[in-house]
Amino acid sequence: MRVLLIEDEKKVADFVARGLRAERFAVDVASDGVTGWEMVSGTEYDLVVLDLMLPGINGTEILRRLRRRGGNPAVLVLTARDSTNDKVENFEAGADDYLTKPFAFAELLVRVKALLRRPPPTRSHVLRVADLELDRLTQQVRRAGKRIELTPKEYSLLEYLAAHAGRVLSRTMIIEHVWDESFEGLTNIVDVYVRHLRSKVDEAHPCKLIRTVRGVGYCMTDEETA
Amino acid sequence: MNTRSLPFRLVAWYSLWLGIVFAITSSLVYFGLRHYLERNLAAAQTQRARRIAALASRVDATNDHRLTEEIATRFAPEASARFIRIVRPDGTIIYQSGAPHDLGFDPTEVSPHASKPGVRRERLPSGPELVLATVAAGPANAPQMLIETGESLAPALNELRRLLALLALSFVVVAGVALAGGYLLVRRALRSVEEITRSAERITSSNLSERLPVTSTGDELERLSTGLNHMITRLDEAFQYSRRFVADASHELRTPLTVVKGELEEIAQHERLTEDIRERLGSVLEEVERLARIVEGLFALSRLDAGEAQREYVRFDLATLAANTVAQMNLLAEDKGISLQCAESAEVNVEGDRARLKQIVVNLLDNSIKYTPEGGTITLRVSAQAGEALLEVTDTGIGIPAEALPHVFERFFRVDKARSREFGGAGLGLSIVKSICTAHGGRVDLESAPGRGSRVRVYFPLADETEDQRS
Repeated sequence: MRVLLIEDEKKVADFVARGLRAERFAVDVASDGVTGWEMVSGTEYDLVVLDLMLPGINGTEILRRLRRRGGNPAVLVLTARDSTNDKVENFEAGADDYLTKPFAFAELLVRVKALLRRPPPTRSHVLRVADLELDRLTQQVRRAGKRIELTPKEYSLLEYLAAHAGRVLSRTMIIEHVWDESFEGLTNIVDVYVRHLRSKVDEAHPCKLIRTVRGVGYCMTDEETA
Repeated sequence: MNTRSLPFRLVAWYSLWLGIVFAITSSLVYFGLRHYLERNLAAAQTQRARRIAALASRVDATNDHRLTEEIATRFAPEASARFIRIVRPDGTIIYQSGAPHDLGFDPTEVSPHASKPGVRRERLPSGPELVLATVAAGPANAPQMLIETGESLAPALNELRRLLALLALSFVVVAGVALAGGYLLVRRALRSVEEITRSAERITSSNLSERLPVTSTGDELERLSTGLNHMITRLDEAFQYSRRFVADASHELRTPLTVVKGELEEIAQHERLTEDIRERLGSVLEEVERLARIVEGLFALSRLDAGEAQREYVRFDLATLAANTVAQMNLLAEDKGISLQCAESAEVNVEGDRARLKQIVVNLLDNSIKYTPEGGTITLRVSAQAGEALLEVTDTGIGIPAEALPHVFERFFRVDKARSREFGGAGLGLSIVKSICTAHGGRVDLESAPGRGSRVRVYFPLADETEDQRS
């Protein structure tokens, strides 16, 4: 998969490119609008990660030209602006998704994968992490064959963690996915739910599946912590 | 009537001055005229006495009868209500006029001793006051006759009394006209002041683009409203500047925050880290997260202030929204051993941005949960009252001291700095609540009893029932 990152902030470009390469994407970086436009018109990319405020040609303009020319790479817009008008303008210009700075890399990755329609690890209706089983159709949860009763919110949270097993999910991502934007900033609600979830899922088992990554978020994994 | 209002005070003052001037003028007229009348009366008496003296010296002095007749025919003292008396040097009376026809005085009451020549005033025992003139007649080297003439002051005093009544009457009329006319005049002059006041009261930080009406009359009021308008313009500029500053600052902070967060998160997930470093990195990341939340909050506020509040404008039931939010947040309360309840309520329809209004409920409940100790109760109630939707959050928390109450909606205000930092709040929750309220045409108030709890009330306009099928 080929990804073009057009971002003039060198440090942002560095860590995003590094992170995407670690996920085995082929990443090219352009640090201004003119170079970016040249690269995107010369090569077929699967995805363009596009910053809006660029020297040379601005992001929205690149987006417009790309769509006018009939280019079809998926475009994830990356910006520090998040007023409603900006969003509407860029979706109209042909953006597929939108991410506001500051963002967690994990969130960028989830969106990139969604845009590239890379199937999540398990597509079947049963999710498995170690001896934990989630049935997406009946919303039933078993651990080592024993039924665990969960509230709908707890189930959504567990499913989100299990579906991205092995990946660290930030509290903001969890809130946006399991709750809604009105709860932004209310990250302690995630901690409380995770604690309840742990008492139901992990307490009786020696192998703990839900791991806290301090300062970052939560991760579901069956690997032993380092 | 407002006794401190400008029209009242102006009219009162100028009426007082008018009254004083009128009173001084009237007393000058009254006493001047009285003095003039009395002097005239005295002069007339003296003149008459001299004429009688001349008559007496022409008529044979010894013929009393002749003299009496002459005086009666020439002066007719009874008919003209005058007093005439002629006394010999030895004190015997030659002639004394009888009672006047109008019975204004009794001549016999006038004191018998004719004094020396001159003018005197005498009050008779029965009341009337006379002006009397005495003149000597006859050869200068012999004992002389004394001739007295007099007249009652009463007619003159009557005239004066009528004048006084007239003055009093005109005072009442003049004062009435002056009061009414003055009040109308001042009111007319101050009407534009009232307009300016009303417009000025309408202008708040959210509609600083409005201006006061300017009447081009060229007077002080025009200058006043122009001056005030200039001031509002400067205020507007200052407000816009500060909003732009906050928006720009929070915007500029995003990129460095992205880098810091991204790099640190990557490091934090590195496998070969000691537990100590992992802890410290985690702590730094938590602070970065808080910084990011503050920047987000500030940006949200600056957008609300700029009027970019509503992404959607739909009609929905506030009671259902409240009940759902309570259900979603119940675990947070339970976790702290607090009972969180939502009172049953009928449908209360409002219009606005659902996500924003939900944020109000979330922020208020979050606040209450933070500041209510274990075992406490939080109640959320939604109702329709007097044409308004009312959302009420009551808790049995630690409350807010009275001196802090006016500031709780200010940005970054913390009642107890140490305590709220331990909760990791950004200090913007209530400011955001207030800004969302204002943007939706609502208002919010907070009452609190330290140690017993707080109550926040949020009011919104109800959705227009006639536009049922909209949105």
